[in-house]
Amino acid sequence: MRPATVLGVLAIAALLVAPLVLPVFAMTLLTELVILGLFAMSLDLMVGYTRLISFGHVAAYGLGAYASGFFLLNTEMPLIVAVLAAAAMTGVLAIGIGWICTLATGVSFSMLTLAFAQLLYAIAFKWTSVTGGSDGLAGIPRRPGPFGFDLFSSKTGFYFLALGCLLGSYLLCRALVNSPFGAVLRGIRENEAKTLSLGYNTRLYKIAVVAVAYAFGALAGALYSPFAGFANTELLFWLLSGQVLIMVIVGGSGTLIGPILGAAFFMLLEHQLSSYTEAWALFFGLVFIAFVLFAPEGIWGLARSWFGRSQPAETKATGNPS
Amino acid sequence: MTLPAMAASIVTPGGARPLLALNGLTKRYGGLIAVNNVTMSVADGEVRAVIGPNGAGKTTLFHTITGVVKPTSGTVHFDGESITGLPAHTICQKGLSRTFQITSLFPQMSSRENIMLAAQARNPSRWLPWGGTGVFSRAREDADAVLEQLGLAPVAERPAGLLSHGDQRLLEVAMAMAQSPKVLLLDEPTQGLSVEETGQAVETLARFLAASRVTVLLVEHDMEVVFRLADKITVLHRGAVIADGTPDAVKANPSVQEAYLGGME
Repeated sequence: MRPATVLGVLAIAALLVAPLVLPVFAMTLLTELVILGLFAMSLDLMVGYTRLISFGHVAAYGLGAYASGFFLLNTEMPLIVAVLAAAAMTGVLAIGIGWICTLATGVSFSMLTLAFAQLLYAIAFKWTSVTGGSDGLAGIPRRPGPFGFDLFSSKTGFYFLALGCLLGSYLLCRALVNSPFGAVLRGIRENEAKTLSLGYNTRLYKIAVVAVAYAFGALAGALYSPFAGFANTELLFWLLSGQVLIMVIVGGSGTLIGPILGAAFFMLLEHQLSSYTEAWALFFGLVFIAFVLFAPEGIWGLARSWFGRSQPAETKATGNPS
Repeated sequence: MTLPAMAASIVTPGGARPLLALNGLTKRYGGLIAVNNVTMSVADGEVRAVIGPNGAGKTTLFHTITGVVKPTSGTVHFDGESITGLPAHTICQKGLSRTFQITSLFPQMSSRENIMLAAQARNPSRWLPWGGTGVFSRAREDADAVLEQLGLAPVAERPAGLLSHGDQRLLEVAMAMAQSPKVLLLDEPTQGLSVEETGQAVETLARFLAASRVTVLLVEHDMEVVFRLADKITVLHRGAVIADGTPDAVKANPSVQEAYLGGME
């Protein structure tokens, strides 16, 4: 087996036995970490594989969080159904968002994604009957079922649900980026005009990847609200869009694994630094700058070169006139 | 026979069936007329060159045919069907593959991956969001065949951005040919090459085009390249056609000599 495979198996084993050895507060942190990892990984489909930089990925997270919260509070849906329904619903909505955002390219695209997130933020404040306004949705239950299946209702059970979602999503995303569809995404990333002239309807591919990325981002959000027991407008605030983008870049974009590590790194660093200083964001900013300047391949890129299985991407091509 | 096809057949009386026919094609940018009422056709199996001094409107003509820009007026017919103003990807799917004047590749992918992505575009399963082993192996076969034909096999694994400029130009042709197009559109294939590189590239191209018998529309300002490759020549000057015919007839044409020699103010 390759070292990476061994490492992957060990990591999964460690995550599986974690509830047996870690104290409760650490399990809470780990669950949140798994959710954020899923959120960051979903953004990587756009940022890392298609070079669609979203400044508003929080829209996916917030939509998922509010939708699953709403379903759990107002319907009889079991937890797992509500979570999956919220992700699916957001994916469908994102077709519309993607359709509009891809009318623009480059920075304008990014600004449109931000605009949609801000629009949803405003709606969450105003549409009180559904979103609870500035109070948000509180007391979101982790309803058992279907068929009386109640493992996911407990804290540990919920952790396994989140972990299962992360692993399942990772496998689906990996299949996607290694498929013919994924090859076209990489074409768009490197040279969209050429991809278009080769006969690919690049806009449709971009809309599709936005919808998929939003669906997985919403899955993360949909897990978060029953995890925390509430959904409020902070889950649609633009700050989180910036943070998740940083997680992707620090972790290593275009690798799927990297952003998960980036999310873990971000959370643990925040956790550690914030116990020493109020100005933890300042120090994190410095770390971010260091990564961008000295390790643009991110944590996963560094890890891969340590394991000596760095890809030909190391010999990066530079001089192309186009 | 459809009306447009009849119109097109009038353009080349007695000749082979025109595969590509332009009728009164015009592109204006404000006051500038980049392409002015161009009527011409490319017969099935011929290699036709469009020549003209820099700024004659050759590249704009190309962009108008391939859907990169929409024509102001006039029509483009391909195989009897109007493709006027269709989006670039649709036109390519109909069987017109092109290269760009300024090299346009996927610089971080290997040469083979570049060609595979081009070949994959013709596969109905190109959308497949999982698996795709079959799609990739077919694309790989197509890619390896073209790499061999154009002498690029030794650099198959190298990132396209690291190839020599000459190889990059050939790689673009390889990508277009991997799509088995009905018409191959080459926009100045030797652009930016040294005299020596140009000679080599033209020999490779000439051998390749003769072997593949693909219909070619070629835009070029290097006369030696044109006379080596083309069966027929259309001369463009300030956006308009001033001559059309065999290389010898065009060479002897007084208005062509005027445009190229006397016309250089």
